[in-house]
Amino acid sequence: MTNFLSGYSIQKWLESCPQGYLMDTIYGHEAGHTEPDAMMENETLREGQIRTTCNLVLGERAALAASSGLVNCAPDYLSKTFLATQTLDEARHVEVFTQRLYDLGVSPADLESTLNEFGNPNLVKFAEVLLEKVDKKDFIAGVVGQNIVLEGMAFSVFEMLHAGAKVDNEKFAHILSGTIADERRHVGFGENRIGSLIKQHPEKIPEIEKMQAEMTGHMLATFHSAFAASDGANQEAKKQGDGDGEALYHGVDLAEASTEEMEAVLSDTVLHEFKTRLGRIGLEYQSPAA
Amino acid sequence: MADWQDPHKLSEGEFLDQVHSFEFWFEAVEGYLHDRPYGFDPNAVDEEMDDRRKDGLITTLCNYCIGETAALEASSGMIGFAPDRASQIFLSTQVVDEGRHLEVLIRRLQMLGVKDPEAEIDARANKSLLRFKERLLELVDSQDWEAAVFAQNVILESLEYTVFRNHVQTGDKITSQILQGIVTDERRHMGFGENDLGRRLRVAPHMHDRLDKIKRELDGLVLATFKQTLGELGIEGPKAPDLAHDYLNAVARLGFES
Repeated sequence: MTNFLSGYSIQKWLESCPQGYLMDTIYGHEAGHTEPDAMMENETLREGQIRTTCNLVLGERAALAASSGLVNCAPDYLSKTFLATQTLDEARHVEVFTQRLYDLGVSPADLESTLNEFGNPNLVKFAEVLLEKVDKKDFIAGVVGQNIVLEGMAFSVFEMLHAGAKVDNEKFAHILSGTIADERRHVGFGENRIGSLIKQHPEKIPEIEKMQAEMTGHMLATFHSAFAASDGANQEAKKQGDGDGEALYHGVDLAEASTEEMEAVLSDTVLHEFKTRLGRIGLEYQSPAA
Repeated sequence: MADWQDPHKLSEGEFLDQVHSFEFWFEAVEGYLHDRPYGFDPNAVDEEMDDRRKDGLITTLCNYCIGETAALEASSGMIGFAPDRASQIFLSTQVVDEGRHLEVLIRRLQMLGVKDPEAEIDARANKSLLRFKERLLELVDSQDWEAAVFAQNVILESLEYTVFRNHVQTGDKITSQILQGIVTDERRHMGFGENDLGRRLRVAPHMHDRLDKIKRELDGLVLATFKQTLGELGIEGPKAPDLAHDYLNAVARLGFES
C-alpha cells in the first residue's frame, strides 16, 4: 500500500499539476482566451452554457465537501495527504467553473440565484446520498461514492463536454482538459486504495452497493432532465454549425447527434465505466431499477 | 470590471476573493517550493548528529507531525461550514499546505532512520499537544466558525509559527530549510485568521469575551508544549528563546492580552 500511495504524494501532485499542466494558465485556460463571440451573442446558446456550467459548479461543490470531509476519517497519513490534494483540486474546479459563469455574463451578486435557477434537483439528491456517508465518517463508502461514482461520472461528462468544446471553444476545452487530468488521478486513488479496505471489511459491501445504486439512479435522472433542458440549445448549435469539425465521443458525432443519442452514449459510457471500476475493487454494479 | 492587477482599486469583497483564490496561493508557494522537492535543496548535505541530538530531533519532529495533523484535520473539517466560497477556497489551499507539511516532516523522519513514522509519532506524542488537538477538533465538530478559526488559524498557527521560526535558527541545515517553507505558509494562514476575526470582532465586539475564554483554556496546553519542545531540542536555561512571550505577542495583535 505504501508504495502505491507514494505515487499520490503532495510532491508528485505539485510537480504534475500546479508545476505541470496548470503552469501558465489563468483560471485553467491560456491567458487571453475568451468564450466564442458566436455563442456569447446568441441568448439560447449562452443560456445553455450557463445551465451546463451551473451543474458543473454544483457537482464540484459536492466533491469539495466530500473530499474535505473524508480527510478527517482517513485511516492513514498517506491517504490524508492525498485527500488534501484532492480537496484543493475540487476547490480549484469550483473556482474555475464559477469564473466561467462570470465570463458568461453572470454577475457575482447573482451567482447563488443563478445556481438555484439552473441547478438540477436530481444532482442535489445525488450529492446528498454521498454526503450522508461522509457526515457519518464512513471512509470506505465515502471514497467509493466520491472517487468511483462521482468522479467516474464527472470524468465521462468532462470528456463529452471536451469533445464538443475542442471544435469551437478552445478556452472551455483547455479548462476541461485540466479537470479531466485531475479526475483521472482521483479515480485512480479510489480504485487502488479501496480494494484492499473492502477485502478487510466485506460486511460493508451490501450497504455500499445500495449507495451506488441510489447514486446511479439520481445520476441517470440528472442526465435525462439535463439533456431535455438543453434540447433548444442543441438545435440552435446545429443551425449555427459550420461543419468544420467532428465532435466525436465514443463513435458518436455530437455535432450531428440528437439529444436522445447524446444522453444514451453518455449513460452507456458511464455505466460501462462503473461496472469496470467497481469490479476492480471487488464490488458488483447494482442497477438502480433492481 | 475590477482591475485585478492593482489591489488598491479592488473593493473589500473583490480583494478577499483574489487573495483567497487558488491562483493567489499558487503564485505564493511557487517561489519557495520550486526546485525544493520535499521542502529542501536536494544538494544539501545532512549534518552528522550524535544519538542524543538525533533522538531529540525525532521526538520534536513527531510532535510537529501531530500539530500538522491537527491543522490538516481542522482546516479540512472547517470547509464544510465556512461562511462563503472564498473562505472555502482559502481553506482548501490551507488543507494542501498542512498536508504538505505533514508529508515533508514524515519524509525527514524517514531520512533520520525512522522505519515506521506512524507508530513512532504515536509513541512519542506530547500529551499537552494531543489534548490541544482533541479540543481543537471538538470546536470544529461543533461547527462554531469563530471559535474554530481562532483556535486553528490564530492559536495553533501562532504556536507553530513561534516554535518553527526559532527552530530554523538553531536546527540542522535540512530541517531548517523544511521549516522555513512551513513558516512562510503559517504566516499566510495566520493572516487569514487575523483578517477574518478582525472583521467579525469589529461588528460583533461581544464575541471577544467568548474567544478570550477559549484562549485562556488553550494557553496552558500551548505553554506546556513549548516547555517540552525546548527540552527535546536541548535548548534550556537562560539562553533559551522566550517562546511564551513570542506566542503571547502574536495573539495579542488581535486584542487578546494575557
